[in-house]
Amino acid sequence: MATPTAPSRVRRQLPTSPWLFAAPGLLITGAFVLHPFVSTVVNSFTDRRTLIPGHFVGLANFRELLHDDMFWTGLRNSTLYIVGVVPALVILPLLLALLVQKNIPGITFFRSAFYTPVVASIVVVGLIWVWLLDERGLVNSLLETVGIGRVGFLSDQWLLLLSAMAVTVWKGLGYYMIIYLAALANVPRELHEAAAVDGAGPVRRFLDVTVPAVRPTMVLVAALSSVAAFKVFSEVYLMAGPSGGPAGEDTTLVMLVQRTGTGLTGRVGYASALSVVVFVVTVALMLLVLRADRKEES
Amino acid sequence: MSVLEKVRPRQEPVVRELRVTDEHGRRVRVWELVLRYALLLAVLALTVGPFLWQLSTSLKGPTEDIFGSPPEFLPSHPTLHNYERVADTIPVWDYALNSLKVASASVVTNCVGSALAGYALARLRYRGRGVATLVFVLAMLVPVEGIIIAQFTTMRELGLNNTLIGVVLPGSIGAMNVLLMRNAFRNLPYEIEEAAYVDGANVWQRFWRIALPSVKGTLAVVAIFAFMGAWDDFLWPLIVLSDPDKFTLTIGLNYLHGTFANDERLVAAGTVIAVAPLIALFACLQRYFFRGVGEGAVKG
Amino acid sequence: MRISRRTFAAAAVALVLPLSACGSGGDDGGSTDASGKVEGNITFQTWNLRANFKPYFEGLIADFEKKYPGTRVKWIDQPAEGYADKISADAAGGTLPDVVNVSPDLVAPLAEAGLALDLDKAAGKYRSEYLDGAWASHRIPGLSGTYAFPWYLNTGPLFYNKSLFTKAGLDPSTPPKTYDELFTDALQMAKKTDGKVATLANVPTIEDFGRYGVQLMNKEGTGFAFNDAKGVGLLTKYKELYDAKALDPQALTATPESSGKKFLTEAVAMNPGSALDLGNFKKQAPGLYKNIGITDQITSTGHVNMYVMGVMVNSRTKHTPAAVAFAHFVTDAQNQMSFAEKVAIFPSTAGSLDDPYFTKEDGTDETRVRIAAAKSLKNAVNYTPVLFSEQMKTALRNEVAKALQGKESPKAALDNAVKACDQLLKQQG
Repeated sequence: MATPTAPSRVRRQLPTSPWLFAAPGLLITGAFVLHPFVSTVVNSFTDRRTLIPGHFVGLANFRELLHDDMFWTGLRNSTLYIVGVVPALVILPLLLALLVQKNIPGITFFRSAFYTPVVASIVVVGLIWVWLLDERGLVNSLLETVGIGRVGFLSDQWLLLLSAMAVTVWKGLGYYMIIYLAALANVPRELHEAAAVDGAGPVRRFLDVTVPAVRPTMVLVAALSSVAAFKVFSEVYLMAGPSGGPAGEDTTLVMLVQRTGTGLTGRVGYASALSVVVFVVTVALMLLVLRADRKEES
Repeated sequence: MSVLEKVRPRQEPVVRELRVTDEHGRRVRVWELVLRYALLLAVLALTVGPFLWQLSTSLKGPTEDIFGSPPEFLPSHPTLHNYERVADTIPVWDYALNSLKVASASVVTNCVGSALAGYALARLRYRGRGVATLVFVLAMLVPVEGIIIAQFTTMRELGLNNTLIGVVLPGSIGAMNVLLMRNAFRNLPYEIEEAAYVDGANVWQRFWRIALPSVKGTLAVVAIFAFMGAWDDFLWPLIVLSDPDKFTLTIGLNYLHGTFANDERLVAAGTVIAVAPLIALFACLQRYFFRGVGEGAVKG
Repeated sequence: MRISRRTFAAAAVALVLPLSACGSGGDDGGSTDASGKVEGNITFQTWNLRANFKPYFEGLIADFEKKYPGTRVKWIDQPAEGYADKISADAAGGTLPDVVNVSPDLVAPLAEAGLALDLDKAAGKYRSEYLDGAWASHRIPGLSGTYAFPWYLNTGPLFYNKSLFTKAGLDPSTPPKTYDELFTDALQMAKKTDGKVATLANVPTIEDFGRYGVQLMNKEGTGFAFNDAKGVGLLTKYKELYDAKALDPQALTATPESSGKKFLTEAVAMNPGSALDLGNFKKQAPGLYKNIGITDQITSTGHVNMYVMGVMVNSRTKHTPAAVAFAHFVTDAQNQMSFAEKVAIFPSTAGSLDDPYFTKEDGTDETRVRIAAAKSLKNAVNYTPVLFSEQMKTALRNEVAKALQGKESPKAALDNAVKACDQLLKQQG
């Protein structure tokens, strides 16, 4: 996020007004997000539990993490989630955006309709999909009707994770489609025409003209979706259940934070250490994506 | 999309009824059009189908098989009975009203708060602006699942637990929304404000009269996100509120799920009640919404 | 307790621990003396009871306020989901209601944090009004005292699908009575239906181990012991069932709701339930209802499992006499009896189960189930140890799943589960 260069005259402000503008936002964010998070960081060095104050234990929680199988399972699943979801969310919404870009009759309706899954709450979406993918739900009824037979989407470790990813992609399609739509509007038409004159087919033009033009947007989508994928909670929680699927094999890192840290017997200290790890990885991911982009550009 | 098509004069339609043009005013070929609509309908079935299936389930009476194979897509005896049962079980309208209050308040605070903060981050120059931006970026990355009890303790110290204000406050100015507004303001050309500055407009006037009206679309985006977030939240209102009179709809609907988990029809009716207002709101705002996107509201 | 809290306060200052420090600190509590005048405003919190029993509770509260002029009771009800989170936040934030509907596993951590009133001290005189087993279910190993009034109990029979039994060549009039019979029947069912119909839908939980006769904890209550030969035997058997598809292949991800649904859709032949479920079957699956057989819970110990609900008094209440009086009022014989008549649950008060309502047949299935359950409740046991937390349940469930999938031997799985639970127990205490 580069700093824009404002003309010098606009720069001269009353000294207090910028802070006055930013104050409400900073206050709320500070009080309800950053302040609790600072206490999370402090707690990560204690053995505090929900109802019983803790003592300073140094790095013990972080050491324990390294020997906790569930932590590695969670790290694996959260990482797999990035691998599974991010490419789909970078590419499919772009294709969808190209599909709805042309102003043909009724296109506004389609655009809005494609956005509906984004608007619906994740809990409702979870309920709907659990009902659809149920052993006796619609998808299995259809599969049986066409002779494939019923599939245990919600009982197999890997199918569960895949189903959750599918729901994430389904819910995210519209959101990222809109981002791409905005980017596509800025691609100069002349580029396409020049390529067409050179005899390039639609696929060629997509790769040679469209992709380079929306590349910054693809990077942004990749960054946003990897951060969200790494922090995935609701989809897997709703579909695989609170204990994280068979033998807990579908547990993600944030689910582990929730499971160990909440309830009356929650290990707040340990869960805080997990939160800190999630935070650090997220920041690193963000930096990584931006850096890779910068390198490629230069 | 071929070369031929491009050189053909625009005012020469072959088939009048199918004279459809793209965003550049060029005619689109028939076969391409058919293909496009086929694809659009396929995606439509995927994105909206699940909601319609839920609606259909909620309208099916107790005698209809909802597990059958092949599935029955339409209820053969549509009935509102399941909705009546929802209303009998929980005071749906009271809860919906509370949700509406919370969500509307959240829309107002988010629009005002993020517009102000976004403007400060995008347009005003002062020491510490980088830090202020960083605060919002970091806030976006914090995993919220771990901080809810600490939030509650803060709320209690403010004496706002068990109030609807307490429900609204933590999400009242979302970091993501602030950053959205910041980007929208940054994409505005400086020249307009420059002119106003020359005319002697102060910072409030420039913000209010010039900058803000140009980012209406992004405001619509923020409004929808804020409404969605507040309307959908379950755990936070549950923890903050104790008084059943103040419960929001999501808490109320959870009673259904807890009490009638085996009754797909009733649960389906509950989800339809939960999601319908959001879809309605979006349908009303979508014109502004897509314009907001055109403003580059969500560009990096 | 008090000294350690003060040490903590010092440490907290040193660490600049932010203001979210624990609500359990401080000496601002109410008195433990319940003998004063019953007066003041108190709050009463129930767990998912408003949707179905609103008039009952409103009547109850009106009666109490009439009996004790000068009292006001505010009733709040919480949904089923997130109850532990809600109580945690309230307990940590110091906003716990005066009288709270709890289950034994919720009482334990509250009592350890000093938030639950010791009723042996404050209300010992009422003790004889309740069944001994029920009163004892809110004792916490490692603490002296009892921390909640017992409220309603629940237990239920085992339902089975007669037509599925017949199809598998099993006699629907002689359902399994012992674990061995259950396992044999289940294997036959799976074999005859090519694995299409399972008999059981849930993996074994801690209470199943208890009912099978496994010793769950050591005598002192300081560690778990369910990895003994008997425990391993049960899990080995379940593994055999799982491989034969006599235990539903989706059992590893099943919830009580999903397994109920499977029974309802005739994908599973047996399901534990309660009298409450009969009404559901009648309404939702009339076809199935005609084919439902009812048999007793299977147990190797002679004691069936029961669930206990309790009513605890917040030790920080400003109106101890009123809170104790109300908690007792809610759970006294008369009010429990009238609650039991509204819904298929059972009173925990001494003698109530001898009421004709629980002993006299009237020819209906509901009554038959009720009478059988009431009879078995007199010596029923709440097998789930009070100290068995959510985290421990998950640990056991995951290890059991690993054994069923064949990733670990049953012995190794239970050893791991015991180790994990012991560690969690140590961290709790």
